[in-house]
Amino acid sequence: METYELAKKLEGLQTVESIAKNLNIGRKTAINYACLLRKNGLAETIYGKRKIRMYRISPIKPVKKGHPGLYEFLNQNSKIKIYAPYVNRIYDHKPTAEEMIAKAVQTGDFRTVLSALSLFNKITDWALLSEIAKKANIGRKIGALYDTARTIIRARKMDERIKKSLLKSKITGKFIVKNARTKDLKNIEKKWNVYLPFNKADLEAYKE
Amino acid sequence: MIKLEEQISLFKLMGTQLKKKVECIAIGGSAMLFYQVKNSTKDVDLVFLKKEDLEVVKKILFDSGFNERKNIKGIFREEEDSSKPIMMEGPETRFDLFLNEVIGFKIHRATIERLREVHEFGNFVVKTASPEDILMMKGCTERERDRDDAAELIKRFNINWNVVLSETSSQAKIGLAAFPLLLYDFLTELKENYKIDVPKEITKELLVTAEKQFKELKNKGKLIKVTKYKK
Repeated sequence: METYELAKKLEGLQTVESIAKNLNIGRKTAINYACLLRKNGLAETIYGKRKIRMYRISPIKPVKKGHPGLYEFLNQNSKIKIYAPYVNRIYDHKPTAEEMIAKAVQTGDFRTVLSALSLFNKITDWALLSEIAKKANIGRKIGALYDTARTIIRARKMDERIKKSLLKSKITGKFIVKNARTKDLKNIEKKWNVYLPFNKADLEAYKE
Repeated sequence: MIKLEEQISLFKLMGTQLKKKVECIAIGGSAMLFYQVKNSTKDVDLVFLKKEDLEVVKKILFDSGFNERKNIKGIFREEEDSSKPIMMEGPETRFDLFLNEVIGFKIHRATIERLREVHEFGNFVVKTASPEDILMMKGCTERERDRDDAAELIKRFNINWNVVLSETSSQAKIGLAAFPLLLYDFLTELKENYKIDVPKEITKELLVTAEKQFKELKNKGKLIKVTKYKK
């Protein structure tokens, strides 16, 4: 069987067991096939919960031109991995953590925002973060998420001037994730006057 | 002819010239370049959802040495200006700019939800249509190279035929009434001439949808004009 035909048959997320079941072959042969596909660039290894190895198989070699977009960037830099709904590439510049935090907040997706919390650890230019946040009208949301991130991970200290300017910034809508409100982080919500989507239990994912 | 690298540099150039964010959908050969199922394409086909975005890109292309080709034959529904693409010709390549519709195939919410890739060139964001949608768009034309492309798409991708069927019904309602028949013709031809594996039940289902559509139109006393895009 040709490699791309094999990839076409197995397109999507697969484990060794599912490959074996789909092709009606043994586990060892399935491992060999997964390895072959990975060597040909048609499969990418990702890890699920409890370190279960999964293969994202596609009959087409993904374009690796440009720089990684939001989801790939988060998967490279965050402990919480997310399934990319689409392939995203950036061509005009190398994306920064500052830019990606703002992008993640703009998606309004719970898991994407949760995953982006760890990017606060990678911030080197707070002024840039503030500038991007204000431009996108999410200044206070970014501030609240920073305080949330500090409750669970080690993050560099934000410059006080930046913090003050973020506190004064305008935002569109108080919700970070539509209709989601926290029960636990009320003090942060009150300080930044936005609604945080996470409870303490959600943040436990960073401790696992 | 244009290759992927050249297409990327062109898009990058456009991105630097745009003052605000402009989004469009790459279809046809242009999308196939991104999917890497084709090495080069004759024209870059882009669909815009807003007229002002199309106008801005048209101006940028004009300023970059592309000239508008005026003598475009109406493709479908000749009386409607909106269904005609804007063709911007350059020395080596041509940009075909569409607004919300590609040769009778309407772009709507489901098409947008199926988009596979997002490529960002600064302010210029190019999304790629799904292989299923590209295949269906190719079904409205009569160009030989479109058949080659469609055959390649079916060979290389796991085409979701259920998507094709449901989209065909939608297009028959919101776009071209004869769409199921055109697609049926197209797929049958591909099956016979290119020995492509198109499930029998799909072509059968398409024919049923087409007949149903024609009956409905006949009852309403509407006339259907079926023409195909030749160039």
